Amino acid sequence: MLFLQQLRGELRKLFARPRTWMGYGAFFLMEALILFVYKLERSQRHMRDLVERNGLEFGTYYSSLTITFTIMLLSMFILGSIYFALVAGDIVAKENEDGNLRMVFARPVSRLRLLLVKYTAVALYTFSFVFFVGISGYLMAVAAVGREGGLFVMEPKMKVFSAFPDWWEGAARLALSAAGIGLSMITLSSIAFMFSCFKIKPAAATIITLTILFVDMILQGFPFFKPYESWFVTWRMSAWVFLMEQHISWAKIVEAYAFLGGLNITLFVLGWLAFQTRDFKT
Amino acid sequence: MLEIHGLCKSFGGKPALGDVSFKVGRGEIHGLLGHNGAGKSTTLGIILGMVMPDAGDVSIAGVSVLTNRSKALRKVGAIFESPAFYDYLSGWENLRILMSYSAGFDSRAARETVELVGLSKRIHSKVRTYSHGMRQRLALAQALLPEPELLLLDEPTDGLDPEGIKWFRDFILCLRDERGMTVLFNSHLLAEVELMCDRVSILRQGRRVFEGSVGGLHDDDLLFEAELDPWDKAAPLIRAAGGEIPQPGRIRLPQGSDPAQLVESFVRSGVRVRALAPVRRSLEDFYMELLDGAGSPN
Repeated sequence: MLFLQQLRGELRKLFARPRTWMGYGAFFLMEALILFVYKLERSQRHMRDLVERNGLEFGTYYSSLTITFTIMLLSMFILGSIYFALVAGDIVAKENEDGNLRMVFARPVSRLRLLLVKYTAVALYTFSFVFFVGISGYLMAVAAVGREGGLFVMEPKMKVFSAFPDWWEGAARLALSAAGIGLSMITLSSIAFMFSCFKIKPAAATIITLTILFVDMILQGFPFFKPYESWFVTWRMSAWVFLMEQHISWAKIVEAYAFLGGLNITLFVLGWLAFQTRDFKT
Repeated sequence: MLEIHGLCKSFGGKPALGDVSFKVGRGEIHGLLGHNGAGKSTTLGIILGMVMPDAGDVSIAGVSVLTNRSKALRKVGAIFESPAFYDYLSGWENLRILMSYSAGFDSRAARETVELVGLSKRIHSKVRTYSHGMRQRLALAQALLPEPELLLLDEPTDGLDPEGIKWFRDFILCLRDERGMTVLFNSHLLAEVELMCDRVSILRQGRRVFEGSVGGLHDDDLLFEAELDPWDKAAPLIRAAGGEIPQPGRIRLPQGSDPAQLVESFVRSGVRVRALAPVRRSLEDFYMELLDGAGSPN
């Protein structure tokens, strides 16, 4: 019960800060931009070619579901990662920098408990943010092209190609993939959270996290590393795309999320150890 | 109530505390004095479990902070110099968040405490709009909400105006008198310590150089204010008794000497003794003597 009170307080702090809302604003603008591009005739012609080349009917798949999927595919890893790293990198380091932590340390709460509360808040923020992007993107797409239509998925890098003509099935897959992206992005937040527990500036925690993510992403693209791609964090984080396969191969998904889950726990423990052994002078 | 035993701490090989021990009895207001870098804040940090000592232990009401921090701090409140609240939230929300890390938030108790510290009218305003004095009142409220038996004050009156300082002092004295609260008061405002504290511990370069009652500091049994006539006739008698004249009109006698015998010798030699009174020393005089190494009663 006390944990819930503490979590409520942590979320209240998180959502009372303007920088938490920056991500929401940025995604809203980006969604509007993607929709604008989708409405352009040239863009529609390109999509028509793509869909019809695969023997599908353009009218069924030029839909709000397909646009929402594209928004999530294109934006989450690049733009989303910036805001997740920013919020998770701040959560401990900024409070230490501002001196708020010493007020909390005057309370009978363990450092582990404090970190658990903060980590839970970060995970909830990350997960809910992905759903915000999905839902807001979908509503904007509905306003632009209507509710009807199925879902067309094409992700060449992960070799996923699917089509769901039925709206309900497409929507269910989209919701499932949003949950998958949410879980994947928690790993990014965990990296930033770990650095936030170290004795560094909040901005440094954010920058180091983004550096790790982008270096991982770049190296993964090298042909030399192709046989080792499953060891790259960003490859594992992309496992959510497998939820879009016509026939979901759960073994691949469970393997990827078990890897990410183990990594998250390791990152949390490393952060906790660093935090636990630190001195916080008044 | 608070027992500090053999605390040692160094930062990056540089010693900050060396074998510091002292006790604070229940219902006592204990001043912790020292210059900047003497180790006051480090001591406070160790008491709150924010800093891990290299050696030694701290216990609050018999419970070790090092081995059972949560239990030891259950009845402790703390106020820091320039308390850092969440500026973008209201005072009330700050109290709610901070109390969630103690025993939980009780809005009735919070209302009473806010009323007590005189912040009722502004408690729902954002903390960023508060003056320094209002922040200190909010700090006091958050420290009092867990109904502490021990209150740790780290330079709480710094930056307050004279009226604010007086209000704060009276409030703390009232808490001690009415609730029997124990207070550890870390400050370098000697006048404040003198007015508030029952006992003091003085730190110098990470070592405790004095622990004793404030009342006992005032009377220097060996230093006297004297009005003698003539002084040039009295001076050889003073020196013969092993004493000295540290400044005109003052006599310092050696340990164990009896001033009555000196007066007798004055009278016998025809020196008129118009007045001879022990000098009342201020805490500042005593503190400066200690830090200058001029004398160590310990």
